[in-house]
Amino acid sequence: MILQIALLIGLVGFSVLAILLRDLLKAAISLAAASIMLAMIFFRLNAPYVGVFEISVVAGLITVLFITTIALTKSPSDVKESRRPLIIFPLFFIAFIICDIFIMKALLQAGRPMLPGSPGTQPFGVVFWNERTFDLVGQIAVIFAGVFSVLALFRPRGDKHD
Amino acid sequence: MTSTWYLYMGFCAALLFIGIYCLLTMKNLIKLFIGIEIISKAISLALVTGGFVRNNLALAQALVITFIVIEVSMVAVALAIIINVYRHTGSLDIRKLTTLKG
Amino acid sequence: MIFPFIAVPLILASFMPLVGRLSKRFFPDLLANLAFLFLLVYSVIIARQLAVEGPTISQLVFLKHDLNIRMALDGYSAFMLMTISLVTLCAGLFSINYMEHYGSKANYYALLLIMVAGMNGLVLVRDLFQIYLFLEVAAIASYGLVAYGLGRDELEASFKYLMLSAVSSGFILIAISIIFALTGGLSFTSVAAGVQALGQKYAVGFCCGLFILGFGLKAALVPFHAWLPDAHPSAPAPISAMLSGLLIKVSGVYAMTRLFFNVFGMNPALGTVLMWAGTISLVVGALIALGQNDIKRMLAYSSISQIGYIILGLGLGTPLGILGGLFHIFNHAVAKGLLFLNSGSIQNATGTRSLDQMGGLAKRMPLTAGTTLVGSLSIAGVPPLAGFWSKLIIIIALVEAKQYGFALVAVLASIVTLWYYLLIQRNAFFGKLNETWRQVKEAPFWMSLATVVLGLICIGVGIFFAFLLKTWIQPAADALTAGIRLGLPGLGL
Repeated sequence: MILQIALLIGLVGFSVLAILLRDLLKAAISLAAASIMLAMIFFRLNAPYVGVFEISVVAGLITVLFITTIALTKSPSDVKESRRPLIIFPLFFIAFIICDIFIMKALLQAGRPMLPGSPGTQPFGVVFWNERTFDLVGQIAVIFAGVFSVLALFRPRGDKHD
Repeated sequence: MTSTWYLYMGFCAALLFIGIYCLLTMKNLIKLFIGIEIISKAISLALVTGGFVRNNLALAQALVITFIVIEVSMVAVALAIIINVYRHTGSLDIRKLTTLKG
Repeated sequence: MIFPFIAVPLILASFMPLVGRLSKRFFPDLLANLAFLFLLVYSVIIARQLAVEGPTISQLVFLKHDLNIRMALDGYSAFMLMTISLVTLCAGLFSINYMEHYGSKANYYALLLIMVAGMNGLVLVRDLFQIYLFLEVAAIASYGLVAYGLGRDELEASFKYLMLSAVSSGFILIAISIIFALTGGLSFTSVAAGVQALGQKYAVGFCCGLFILGFGLKAALVPFHAWLPDAHPSAPAPISAMLSGLLIKVSGVYAMTRLFFNVFGMNPALGTVLMWAGTISLVVGALIALGQNDIKRMLAYSSISQIGYIILGLGLGTPLGILGGLFHIFNHAVAKGLLFLNSGSIQNATGTRSLDQMGGLAKRMPLTAGTTLVGSLSIAGVPPLAGFWSKLIIIIALVEAKQYGFALVAVLASIVTLWYYLLIQRNAFFGKLNETWRQVKEAPFWMSLATVVLGLICIGVGIFFAFLLKTWIQPAADALTAGIRLGLPGLGL
């Protein structure tokens, strides 16, 4: 349990770091570190498949995409972020965490809202391929949509549209 | 079981707050997109936690995997747009993209 | 067999690059528009079958194996399918001429087909997560389509649209995960049963609030409308027609009403929130539209206003209100599609979107002027065109439910709507012919054909509205007023 809480705090910490860092490359690496923390949380929650997927896709593929974009858009003049939001962020954050804890305490004392019973009985493979087959059709459609959009955005412009 | 769910949802809410704060205050296009990535992590955590307390992790994992596929597609399109914006204006500042008044 | 609605566009989209290699413009045009025509005809056939047999569930069987692909079709889904296919066919015909100078037509048609597949999928599924999934399919295709022109304005509009849409999808999914944790199920029937058995007002109410945030942004309800006046004008004209006419209704209004009516159960608090949101959209959209100079921006604000009308009618919850709201979905889709296509014709001929610079185009472009007049009057609610009847039904429903304040606002907003549409007519078409436009010609054949078809439908629906209401929209309204579906008997969903 202690390890879980430590991992969760690590996840939130790396996310905060990702937005506070000014160098984009370091921010992308921090995001990848947050993904690895999240994947370890998933492993400890007995969800190994999504943990593996999270590491390989989010910490791997998306980080590579980010670094490619950062490399392609390097300009001599970097974007000047104003300092003020970064300084007042900790104040807002602490205020939010305190409100959060109070709300959670109140909800805990209010009683248990869950519907009992009905655990899933099938193993993951059966659920993914047999029960949620329609999701696969949707995934294929989403991949096509992404591929064609990227192709459309990078198409060779013979005649320029104004 | 319920208190576990509340604990994880509390962290999920914190991540959501960080992501939305990033979207509201950052000016670099890629930083804005990092905000959306943080929101996606919050969503994956929420879904898996939901599955954990319902003892139905197989279903939750199927959902999260589908969601990660959607997210990759969205990241690809968004980064393609950002690269095109860079080609047009030469900078990644969202304050330069103010020709449309909304 | 309702799987072809999703399968045909997807499979054709995957073959589009190959077809594009074969021929740059003829084959993609032909195949894509044939697919749209097939979808329209098939949706009419399926709707007839629905009227005979009642709601159906179709399960795919592949090689004697039961694939777990289940879709359900009831009155509301069939109605949306027909609306989607109709406007898509006309937008596709319009694109034959309009997208010539954008280049890479095969890619464009592939994205359009995927967007249609996503919208069709959204109206046919009965599972919370799959609604989100197909919503994202249509949305990602639309990001690429809005930025299709690769100009600076388009890219800026597409980026802002993407950011806001991603946040709203995030909220929707958080709500879905809370519902999943509370009830353990995702399909409509199990969630409905779970919500009833649970009786947790505040948790479910919180999720409904998140859903209104998320779907309201997709439907461009005020105050979440900021992306629409940038995204819709910057997109190419047929895409503006598809987005304004279909996507905001399918992914915003349809999803929200399907969830609120058939899964959570419409209670008065929810209805009141929707009615207020609709009224505020109605008024704000109409007032801001008055001050616009760009014709497409004015049409975009008008879309915000009319979506407010639809939500007002649907939020009322009475059978007559739902009937009016659904009828207005169809009328607005057809008429707004027509108006955006015409704005594309004007932009094609004159190269400008600014109302100040146009003038007296009616003499040179009579067809465009005529169809724009028909579309404008239909939305503004002038008898005997189609829009008049749907607005009248909504106002009568409001008066019947003793909501006199809302009815008065609706009538006043109608007058403002008429005002700014007449402004468009006067500034763009009537009046003295601006010298610069002395040489413009009427729009090319396919563009004119598409707009004339839509115009005739506006007039036809206005005249034969009673017949259409009874056979086509009443089943849809019945499907919504049937309320919470705790399991369709004998169909095992």
